[in-house]
Amino acid sequence: MMSFTKLSQWQVLKHDRWLVSSLTWIPVLLALSIWWIFSQGIARDLPIGVLDLQQSALSRQLIREFDATPTLQVSHTFTDINTAKNAFISNDIYAYMVIPKNFDRDIYIANAPQVTVFYNSQYILVGKLINSAVLQAHGTFNAQIATLKQLSKGNSNQLAALSKAVGIRTQITPLFNKNSNYAQFLVSAIVPALWQISIVVSTILFLTANYRFYGLKKMAANNTLKKLIGISAFYTPFFIIQGLAFLIWFYYLLNWPMEGSLLPLFFAQLVTVVACMVMGALFFFLTLDPARAMSFAGAFSAPSFAFMGVTFPVTDMNPIAEFWRALLPISHYIEAQISQVSYGASAWQTMSSFLPSMLGYLLPFILTLLLIKKQLRKMEDNNGAI
Amino acid sequence: MGLFELLKAELKAVLSNPVILLTVFGGVIFYSFLYPLPYSQQTPQEQEITVINLDNSQLSRQLERMVDATTQVKIVQRAHSIAQAKEQFLNGDVRGILLIPKHFNRDLLLGKSPTLSYSGDASYFLVYGTIVEGLAKAGGTLAAQATVSRLVIDGVPLELAAEQFAQVKLNMKPTFNPSSGYLNYVVPAVFVLILQQTLIMGVGVLGGSEKSNSGYWNRYSTFSIVAVRCLVFVGIYYLLALYYFGFSFEFYGVNKLASPLVMLALLAPFLLSSTFIGILLGAILPRRELVTFVVLISSMPLIFSAGFIWPLESVPQPMVWLSNLFPCIPAIQSFLMVNQMGAEFSQILTQWKLLWLQTFGWGILAYFAYQHVQKRSNKSAS
Repeated sequence: MMSFTKLSQWQVLKHDRWLVSSLTWIPVLLALSIWWIFSQGIARDLPIGVLDLQQSALSRQLIREFDATPTLQVSHTFTDINTAKNAFISNDIYAYMVIPKNFDRDIYIANAPQVTVFYNSQYILVGKLINSAVLQAHGTFNAQIATLKQLSKGNSNQLAALSKAVGIRTQITPLFNKNSNYAQFLVSAIVPALWQISIVVSTILFLTANYRFYGLKKMAANNTLKKLIGISAFYTPFFIIQGLAFLIWFYYLLNWPMEGSLLPLFFAQLVTVVACMVMGALFFFLTLDPARAMSFAGAFSAPSFAFMGVTFPVTDMNPIAEFWRALLPISHYIEAQISQVSYGASAWQTMSSFLPSMLGYLLPFILTLLLIKKQLRKMEDNNGAI
Repeated sequence: MGLFELLKAELKAVLSNPVILLTVFGGVIFYSFLYPLPYSQQTPQEQEITVINLDNSQLSRQLERMVDATTQVKIVQRAHSIAQAKEQFLNGDVRGILLIPKHFNRDLLLGKSPTLSYSGDASYFLVYGTIVEGLAKAGGTLAAQATVSRLVIDGVPLELAAEQFAQVKLNMKPTFNPSSGYLNYVVPAVFVLILQQTLIMGVGVLGGSEKSNSGYWNRYSTFSIVAVRCLVFVGIYYLLALYYFGFSFEFYGVNKLASPLVMLALLAPFLLSSTFIGILLGAILPRRELVTFVVLISSMPLIFSAGFIWPLESVPQPMVWLSNLFPCIPAIQSFLMVNQMGAEFSQILTQWKLLWLQTFGWGILAYFAYQHVQKRSNKSAS
């Protein structure tokens, strides 16, 4: 008779407020905190220092050129190299520029003085931003001086002088992320990674809660598959709503550019949720010990952002890293998301590359069913022994 | 029973708990190989691009060769129109596009400064940066050559022209991580976080495991238990830190500029405050798996507010204050400074003091939380 009683999940939820939290406010809070960190979107006014050994109108013009870039702000001026270096090492500034002595004279006699910029490349992102801002400021300054020189010869007008000064102009177009907004770039990948962690650990929590409340026999013996699907089906909407919520938040409320449509993404999310739940169930039924399952879940899902290939490209990963990446549901999902959001690919294109790779999760699924059988047998053996 | 007995009992409890062994030793060693895995190549190279050459002059082909010669990009396709290039891009054949305009050669010789257009996939930032860097480098070299040759045409001797093409030369010096390697960037910071997180989990799981039954932890004063627990875990983690900062950094070729003494001095408050957080979480959370849960979900917000990925100047100030409550934040900052940038101990005093302040604060909380648990279990026992 027992097996016909429905395993009410409302009863389970009533007794486990941590499970309720992990399904509701915790993922929201996490996603919001990530967004808050990056809410400025673009790094502006990074402090840099200047060691100006010339102290002339020209050298100050160069400094102003640096200060005028949106990325840099000249916040420190030094008089000797040691204080500059110390401020650099103490993280007070991200870079410093040394303007040599005889800077003016060398420019006038066309002996190209050399300006040195030391920048912190330990922080790669900051280093890259500073590098390009400095190149830009330097280019502008050079063009100004060259134009001035041409004009001072008196045989040229402003425009002709400028084009003589600048050999080739360049136009750089970032495709798909037009203002190179870091918030968009990072947050739209970090939040799905968090979502994956949240699904895997919540799965362990709800299986644990059921295990505690109903016991293994009641929750999994006879009709294992049907019962498991019954339990999981109750929690799936929570995860789906979380997934949909961040998509709507990004592409409707924050109005980030979206080229494709949400419909294929909705489907991709559904498959991702199932895959993550399969992994969570696998970890749980491996030992039936939630603490150990959590450790496995952590090892599995915590570094997933590094493997997604959004920061460091997949094409430059070695085969072992690519293999580990292929195990993570979210790395398949993020490809689908980018193909819709950025490239505006057709639903068919997205799905034909997404679905085959997700079929692989049938293997852990079968493994989970076998594990449940084994755990049930073990339990009966123990009971028999008693 | 004396303190020595307690130490023995505590060590035995740690070493016989499979969850702690799995998390602490398994986790630390597993992550030391897993985390650096994606970055083993350090810098992205040879990003594949397509070229639309509308000029087809000798000079434009020279530019193509110069582009191909950079380590950053590689020309794998060509296109006759922008539409075709776009299609190649969407098919995933290429990740960037270089457009050489019509009359590029002529305009350059006339001094009309033609415009080179290039674009890369900015959905992947490092890909985009690499492509732009490579193309800009090649374009810049060609522009310099063009300026020099124009000066020569104007009658300036070649030797002088080569000196004169730039008004001011720029010498960019990437410092602390000269190759801009990704592994050198991620590993030294993330390893500090891993130490903190696995330590909190280990201590917390021990505390959580004690709750369900009674044992030696009910028979000693709160102070002795907390002190011995710190001794055991900080001791274990000094060894694990040795493995990370010594063996792993050596293995991956990461800078080790700090003197061992400075490292030991920094590790002390870092490991102590992490242990206290573990004791606190183990005491206040109802079940031991929840410790792992809380630690796990906090990792991402912590790592992104540490300031090495996204500059602290751009993080909202309240978030910075909040993040400074956790040991890994000042620890990541100061370990990077002393070990990667060669700072003196005097330059990280602010962070060091903050770590001791945290040790003090978390210590008090841990003490009272643990005392509360002991009282409760003694009451239920009697």
